[in-house]
Amino acid sequence: MTLYHFGNCLALIYAPYHMAYKFSGISEYATFSKCLYAGGLYIFTQLCKMLLLATFFPDSDSGQITGEYDVFMEILKATVDFADLLGLYFALNSVPGKGHAKILTSAIGWASAEVVVTRSVLLWVGARGSEFDWRYVRSCAESNVALLQHAATAALVWLWTRSDLPRKHTPVVITLLALSPYRMLLEDAVASILSLSAWSLLALRALHASAIGLTALAMYAILAQQLGI
Amino acid sequence: MWLDEADGFAEIFKGYLPYYLLVALPIFIIMSPVNPVAASHEFSVYRMQQYDLHTVPHGCRSASFNLEGRSLSSWSTSRHCVVAHIQDITIEQFMEVRSKAGALLLVLPKNDTVLTPEEKEHIQLLEMAMTQQEINAPVYFAKWSPEFEDIIKDLQHGFITDDKSGTALEAMFNTVSSNGYQIVVSASTPQKMESKPVTIHGKLVGRSGAAQTIVIAAHYDSAGLVPELSQGADSNASGAVALLELARIFSRLYSTAAVRGGPSLVFVLTSVGHSLNYFATKKWLEEQLDSTDATILTDVSFVMCLDSLSSPQLTMHVSKPPRAGGAANSLRSRLKVPIVHKKINLADELLAWHHERFSIRRMTAFTLSSLQSHKDPARSTILDTPSETSLKNLASHIAVTARALASHIYNLTDEENDEDPAIYDDALAVEEASIKHWYEYLSSQPRAPQIVTTSSPNAGVTAALERALSRYMDTTVSTHAIDKREPEYTLYSPVRALLYVYSVKPAVFDLILTLAIIAYLTVVYFAIQLFPRFYEEYAKLVTGKAKVH
Repeated sequence: MTLYHFGNCLALIYAPYHMAYKFSGISEYATFSKCLYAGGLYIFTQLCKMLLLATFFPDSDSGQITGEYDVFMEILKATVDFADLLGLYFALNSVPGKGHAKILTSAIGWASAEVVVTRSVLLWVGARGSEFDWRYVRSCAESNVALLQHAATAALVWLWTRSDLPRKHTPVVITLLALSPYRMLLEDAVASILSLSAWSLLALRALHASAIGLTALAMYAILAQQLGI
Repeated sequence: MWLDEADGFAEIFKGYLPYYLLVALPIFIIMSPVNPVAASHEFSVYRMQQYDLHTVPHGCRSASFNLEGRSLSSWSTSRHCVVAHIQDITIEQFMEVRSKAGALLLVLPKNDTVLTPEEKEHIQLLEMAMTQQEINAPVYFAKWSPEFEDIIKDLQHGFITDDKSGTALEAMFNTVSSNGYQIVVSASTPQKMESKPVTIHGKLVGRSGAAQTIVIAAHYDSAGLVPELSQGADSNASGAVALLELARIFSRLYSTAAVRGGPSLVFVLTSVGHSLNYFATKKWLEEQLDSTDATILTDVSFVMCLDSLSSPQLTMHVSKPPRAGGAANSLRSRLKVPIVHKKINLADELLAWHHERFSIRRMTAFTLSSLQSHKDPARSTILDTPSETSLKNLASHIAVTARALASHIYNLTDEENDEDPAIYDDALAVEEASIKHWYEYLSSQPRAPQIVTTSSPNAGVTAALERALSRYMDTTVSTHAIDKREPEYTLYSPVRALLYVYSVKPAVFDLILTLAIIAYLTVVYFAIQLFPRFYEEYAKLVTGKAKVH
């Protein structure tokens, strides 16, 4: 609507990221450059994914125009998102320090890069126009959920890299990791089956992200206790 | 602990956040386009007419606005644009809107058939009221569309009104839940249009060169509140169609020397009608009568003007009762129509009928019309649209007129006992297909003076009529000029514009949103602050042992 409204949206996006960075303790490790590095890795990963998509799914746009929804094609496309896990893995490897610092630094860097790349233009163009739409506020809130989600995924990837992970946890970690590229698809499917509104879909995403986050946190806590950190 | 947290909050503002934003934001704002997003609704709207007649202003005097949309019941100040269906606004409401509101946007009915006769009459009266005086606020008309229906519904049921809401909480809830609309028309300020009215005339020469002349005249423009929407099917597409058909019939009769009639026939089509005081006719008469070499109007027997011929009953309007034994009386007795006599009142702003222009120049003149009074609001309404019954009436009126005129020209005293009516019928038969074609074409075109007289005479309706008439006779197109210093009339553009509707929230809404965001961020802040303690408890729960540091 106005610049003021844009400021509102910006605060909603930016403040949680900033607080997560400042108060989680990772800023004491002086890891701002590492965050940037993770963000750079995110962009590089997206470029690689785009290259893959453009090579193997050339007419993905024409399907959207005709309105057909090819489930198999969508699943295949979501499979490409495994590249995200690979990217996160590299980001985790490049960050020195303890486990939680690794996870948080790469998750925050990764999620911030995603916000800058995918939402900033939309917000700048949309929220500042004179037309009001709840969509922009929703998109800002969604980016907060995305931070939680990326943190959970980063934790899972980190757990997966540990050789000292308890044996009984391995299948859980691998299942959750294997499902993570399809989480958007799953959420959308549930939303369309229950015919949820956009706000309920957002709530569903938040629930889903916190459930995965709590599971990952539990496994992390057990591992951390074993290691004595 | 509280002090620590206060420190944490301060840190957000002390950190690098404000400094780079202070630099970056202004740069972004300068770089970004002025209107970064298109409105969700965009409509073509048509402006109410604006013209000066003898420097007396008429119609709506401004064009652009940017105001908040309100319904008829909820508007209050000049910062509001009133949006309503045209059939819903009463004349009293309109008077109030004219004096106080910022702008008026009227949505036309979906189509004529949904209107009851009372509603039609109401709209015609409203149009008359609107044309009476000038309006300073912009007035626009829009065709019906489902989007407009939704907007009007939203405005009627929205509770944004400042005085309606009871408690503060209720008001707050209303501002969040309701939709507002910002309505924007960015048009250029009204400018004078260069208007060049034309007159098309042609002559069918009679048997003996010295014989009398009969003039048949009609104007082909329409008069309506909204230039782009005034189709003018009855007034005066019907008159122009009748004139073309008469021209066709008599050009066939006059083409063979054996059946050529005595008097010459002059057909005159003028582009400015009653809304602008028959200006083109006046100028044309001046040209024809006052120049020495013009011979077209010598010895005029009578002038027959055709105006609004598509209602059931024909009437002959005169400004002086026709002389017994005169040509006009002879035609009247053959037409068998009642006479309505109305003296010319030069003090009136507008002449009543077309024939008065000729009567002023001392010619015997009358108007054939199916309207009973010159004050009939049907002469200038946007509801004047074509219909099948009107077309039938028009065809029968043309047939009657052609018959009467032929009987007058050939001086057949008793046509009832005509020996061979078949020949008669054949010669004077009305070609229904051609009437239908012209009637539909003319009434599908907006023909207000703002459109007809400002486009080139080689294009549009004028050119089509000229070509049609020139198939039957040699035609001349004369263009008239308006006096530069004391213009008889002035027309103003624009006649149409684009209207943007933005859905907006009231300014208070942003403040409430800020409060909500701050509350949310505070929760997030405490969640992050409390996370270590939560982790401890959670780890205890998961591992079943107290965590040892």
